[in-house]
Amino acid sequence: MIWYEANLVLIEATFINFLLALSIQIPLRVGVFSFAGVGSYGIGAYAAAILTIRYDVPAFAAIGAAVVLAAVVGYLFSLVVARLSGLYLAMATVAFVLIISVLAVNGGELTGGAHGLYGALSDLTTGGVIAVCVVVAALLTLTERGPLRRRIEAVREDPELSLSMGIGVVPMRQLAFTVSGALGACAGAMNTLLRTTVSPEELNFHLIVLALTMVVIGGSRSWVGAFIGAVIFTWLPSLLSVVGEWQGVVYGVVVVLAAIFMPTGLVGAAKDLHRRIRGRNRAVPTAPDDVKEEREVFEALSDDSTEGVR
Amino acid sequence: MTTAQTAPPVLEAEDVAVHYGGIKAVDGFGLRLPAGKIYGILGPNGSGKSTFLAAVTRLVPLTRGRLLIDGREYHTESPTMLARKGLARTFQTVRLLPELTVLENVQLGADTNASGGRLRSWLGRDKPSEAVEEAIERTGLGDVRSAWPGELSYGMARRVEIARALAARPRLLLLDEPTAGMNHSERQEVSELMRKLRDEGLAQLIVEHDVQMMVDTCDHLVAMNSGTLVAEGSPSEVVSHPAVQEAYLGKRWRSHA
Repeated sequence: MIWYEANLVLIEATFINFLLALSIQIPLRVGVFSFAGVGSYGIGAYAAAILTIRYDVPAFAAIGAAVVLAAVVGYLFSLVVARLSGLYLAMATVAFVLIISVLAVNGGELTGGAHGLYGALSDLTTGGVIAVCVVVAALLTLTERGPLRRRIEAVREDPELSLSMGIGVVPMRQLAFTVSGALGACAGAMNTLLRTTVSPEELNFHLIVLALTMVVIGGSRSWVGAFIGAVIFTWLPSLLSVVGEWQGVVYGVVVVLAAIFMPTGLVGAAKDLHRRIRGRNRAVPTAPDDVKEEREVFEALSDDSTEGVR
Repeated sequence: MTTAQTAPPVLEAEDVAVHYGGIKAVDGFGLRLPAGKIYGILGPNGSGKSTFLAAVTRLVPLTRGRLLIDGREYHTESPTMLARKGLARTFQTVRLLPELTVLENVQLGADTNASGGRLRSWLGRDKPSEAVEEAIERTGLGDVRSAWPGELSYGMARRVEIARALAARPRLLLLDEPTAGMNHSERQEVSELMRKLRDEGLAQLIVEHDVQMMVDTCDHLVAMNSGTLVAEGSPSEVVSHPAVQEAYLGKRWRSHA
């Protein structure tokens, strides 16, 4: 209990970061590299602060309104960037984050300018934050099994195949932007209400990097990966305080090593290991020997024959 | 050769052209595929066969022409509508989803036609439907149903592609080089399966450059070269057609340069 109280700020930050990581992970799961969730974090943070300070709205109503607002903005943004893909789309989403932070700085009295807003006092508790995260994780579990998971996999891996099988790629991407907006705003709003302040400095490049790192290291396919990433990168800086001024270097080395040796994240690495163990115990029936021989001949003759199966 | 008085052809393509800038990949090609028949498009590499299939499945826009399913124009509709109209296809290269098992890959094919409420077809843990089990059984994938695509031989992976298309219970099946990379006995098996499906009423359009396989399997052949039709008729007629021979063996040597 003493430990819990002493580390309350980090515990809360873990769950906030979990939601922020999810706002990056959701678009990634459908094959879209988007940082817009970080911008939504800003929208949520300011919306909740303004509603609480000016209109004295209860915490959950303020969070709810912030979430709906950012979801709508996320959807509209998806329409704007509908024709972009890959790197250009990623750049556009970075621009989105920058626009939100510029709006925050230049918002005059409404956003408090460069100083931000203070005194957003609410009755939001740590338990409330955890409850929201549990609900979000439960809902996301539904997207990680059965038919919805298959559709998401198809949209990410092969949009053309998805179309030919009747799976709408564009609606799926729009949905991802919308959900990403909602999750990012939820993180931003709850963070503001817990800390009682918000300033444009929070929407910096570090937040973008943090959000991405959590997903890359944790794993990009499941909310479990986002949660593991959130735990690691919320606690790592305080654990690394023992190395003093070398903290930044060690942090960087950990990230680089993880990216090299676990390209699919911790969850992906665990899954691969499980697959390998299962594969060893269960011989996969392959084609009979004569088939194999012919196949070898065929492969020797044709260079691209092995490329089809990934 | 028209069947105007009876049912319209399952698939009809009229004067289809697909141009990429100055390149005329398909230029004025057409066919009428009746129910319960296997039509084959024969042609050398680069003759426009796969582009034609892409046009038929609305993955590339038409420069010119009309496409009809059951006598209804569809070349302005979204490609996602085609699955609901009963069209399924396989691709020239194996396109299985690497993070789904063989069973899940086949299930994906059936998802479009999933019965029950819309929400139920999106959420929840589902047992493989009858159509999925049937597709797996007919393509002989029972033993590898829980394997990952990366563990399969090329021929096996091809079967999964066919099973995924069949799981949608289509009325029209488009197959782009379905037996590429298969050995002789596998080819025969696939050919036999296609003929069985035809007898059950499934219209099929095969694109292939394996002439023997096409002659053995198809009811009707259409030969294509440089994006246009060069010959059409029964398999034996088409393969012995001089224009087809020329397309495969290259232009005949002519003395005046």
